[in-house]
Amino acid sequence: MSGWHHAPVANVLLTTGDVEAFTVGLTLLGSGGGGNPHPFRQSLRRALDAVGGEFELRDPADLGDAPVVATGMLGATSVLTEKLPSGHELRDAVHALARWSGTAAAAIMPLESAGLNGLLAVTTAAELGLPLVDADFMGRALPRVDQFTAAATGASVTPFALVEPGGQAVLIDHSSPRALERIVRSVVAQGSGWAGSALGPYPARSLATGACAGTLAKALLLGRAHAETGPEAFAARLGGRVLAAGRTVEIARIPSATFGRAGIAIVDDGGAVLRIEAENEYLLALLDGVPVASCPDLLCVLDRRTSDPIAVDLLRPGDDVLVVVLPGPPWWRATPERLRHVDPRSFGLDCDAVLLPDVA
Amino acid sequence: MRTTVQLSALLAHPEWAGVTILAADADGTAVRAVQTVADLRADPVVARHSLLAVALSGDRDDWHLDALLRRAAAAGVVAVLLPGTEPLRHASRLLAGRVGITVLGSPDPLTVALAATRLLHEPEQVLAELLTRTAAVCTVAAGGVDEVVAELARAWRRPVWLLDGTGEVVAGTRPPDADEATVLTRPVGAGRSPARLAAAVPAGIPAEVAAVEAALGVAAGTVGHRLAEKRLAVERDARLRMSLLAELMQPAAEPDPGTRRRALDAGWQLEGWHIGIRIDVPASVEPVAIRPEVLRAFDTAQIRALVVEQGTGWGAWTTFAEEPAPAELQRHATAARRAQSLLRSSLPSAMGVGRVQRGVAGLARTLGEAGDAARLAATRSSSGYFVHVDRLGLGQLLLAWTRTDTFLPAARSMLEPLRDQPGNLLRTLTAYLDAESSLTETAAVLGVHRNTVAARMARAQELLGVDLVDPDERLALHLACRSVLFHT
Repeated sequence: MSGWHHAPVANVLLTTGDVEAFTVGLTLLGSGGGGNPHPFRQSLRRALDAVGGEFELRDPADLGDAPVVATGMLGATSVLTEKLPSGHELRDAVHALARWSGTAAAAIMPLESAGLNGLLAVTTAAELGLPLVDADFMGRALPRVDQFTAAATGASVTPFALVEPGGQAVLIDHSSPRALERIVRSVVAQGSGWAGSALGPYPARSLATGACAGTLAKALLLGRAHAETGPEAFAARLGGRVLAAGRTVEIARIPSATFGRAGIAIVDDGGAVLRIEAENEYLLALLDGVPVASCPDLLCVLDRRTSDPIAVDLLRPGDDVLVVVLPGPPWWRATPERLRHVDPRSFGLDCDAVLLPDVA
Repeated sequence: MRTTVQLSALLAHPEWAGVTILAADADGTAVRAVQTVADLRADPVVARHSLLAVALSGDRDDWHLDALLRRAAAAGVVAVLLPGTEPLRHASRLLAGRVGITVLGSPDPLTVALAATRLLHEPEQVLAELLTRTAAVCTVAAGGVDEVVAELARAWRRPVWLLDGTGEVVAGTRPPDADEATVLTRPVGAGRSPARLAAAVPAGIPAEVAAVEAALGVAAGTVGHRLAEKRLAVERDARLRMSLLAELMQPAAEPDPGTRRRALDAGWQLEGWHIGIRIDVPASVEPVAIRPEVLRAFDTAQIRALVVEQGTGWGAWTTFAEEPAPAELQRHATAARRAQSLLRSSLPSAMGVGRVQRGVAGLARTLGEAGDAARLAATRSSSGYFVHVDRLGLGQLLLAWTRTDTFLPAARSMLEPLRDQPGNLLRTLTAYLDAESSLTETAAVLGVHRNTVAARMARAQELLGVDLVDPDERLALHLACRSVLFHT
């Protein structure tokens, strides 16, 4: 069986019955981060019901030069459950962007097809009555806007619209990816903690190669595989492997310059010590001092009893877990230049990427 | 042969004093080599049983430490020495235990690593350095054996002490937990059972053991020398004291000016009132050697007295500038009795105390009285081998009179009924009469209950058919008791 990146890329139908699997798949793509999509399952079900119970995930190549706007949440997703969204942030950001660029969006794409943002792109597209393109700028959860595939290819990441829950809107244009990341981060930090955002538009055709195509469909595939088989079998089936199964003995959370750093130690049942370095996502795993897996592959920590993925900020000492690694987005793995944007060094971890073998 | 040191021994070494164990224990770990790397990212070279010192401090929490531990284990490293003594992350401690590496922390890993290198690979230098320091101590250290031993302990940074021929510690302190196997000793001087200089050096670092062995040899010479010097000085002083006292005891009316001058130099105050004390011991006891014990007993009992070796014992006296008041005499007598009881616990001594006398002639007289009293005390276990002349002036006279050939048989027949009776009635009766008919005092002297004394006394009176209320009968009986006891 081949890995999930060989799954059919587009024109997959997302139905109301897929919500659970889709959500779990998005969480796995979150690799411990990306925000928890579970609280928004009901709004996804409502959105799907409103459009007849199914929604098509469109292949970007099929839409020609139609202007596609990417959208998603930015900031502290844990704040989202305390500071509830009005529900209009993403829609308003798409509209703000259209006013500035003078081009109305013909289709919507998620800027990150993982965690919360993968789900919100579907509801936003449904709400706006626009097609949803199954392509995104990350292919998994990543923390920074300068880690967009667009930034890696040298494409523009502006204009960029931000709408905070109170309705305050910020529009940024003519920024480099790094500058944009700094500005967005300050706006969110000084503002409400999180914000809805939109950028583009991009010609649909360009996304087939300039972005990670088919990630939402893969989320669905991952979720279904997760539901069908036990986690160990499922990791193997998806081209991944189990790194350790045992108890979490230590979580040291250290404030760092960027995001909070966490050092996690898990003692495998066989006695081996698995150390995971994490920020918003699980980034690097060392087994008995040897690096065995790293981003951009997907490091996932699952509850051993329920197989549910556990996010970095929800993992607790004493948790009985299964640590698996799944192949990361092929787009990033394609060339060393791309990999440089998402390897451990891009997170300040002085270590080469350790990736699963290509299942080509 | 490759030299090996035990990690636990290194940790106990003074130069490793600042090193703490951060992960896994050091027991049974042997180190054969030391290597130093710059930081946590460095690659250790392959060397079995090596100690890896990391020079520059890095982030303790960083995963590079784990990676280093793994590389180090693969290279045969058995211990990693990190800068700083802050605790490790749990993950790193677990890993250290798993790959079998002891992690140590020190504020100054380079110096510590250097010390380990020297102990491992440069035993000659360690030895030379210790010998140099020892020689310096032996030359420079002032004072007696105690000071030399203390200086050696400081120089070697190990416990050092001196044992006499019987194995008693006479200088320095033996650590209570010293393992016999780790104690190095060296005889001081020759002879059948010479004193021995000892040092506790844990096994495990051959270089240090060899160095201390050699240094002990050097130090033993100096210690022996100081011991001989001390002994000489003590004997010289004793001889001076003895001859001076002998001159003062001459029956000549007044000592000549030379003798007075020597007495002054010795700190003896000849004028004033003196109370002599005489302590007799068996001939097997050497007065010069045991004098410190007498001084200690006097000191504990708070008697200020000059003590001079005299024959088989000591003569001692206390001098008062003014004539002492009765209360002061009483206090002195009590203190003397206490000194005797202290001495008696380690020596078969008998003590006599003379009356207060004035001037040089008085000193000779009171010492003479004390001598008589001491001879009397030798047989008087009931008074704790202690006799005070002040309390026995008349008794002495009477006792002298009772030593006649006619009195003794009469006394014996008088006390005949008490013979072979249970309860040692004769001794009880004597003690009772000595104690002024006090049941309580008699019980205390004999170490029995006062009811026992009462019962015995009733029986004795019944057997003898005497009435102790009658002063004549009492006196006769008391004399008889004393003379019979004295002569049996």
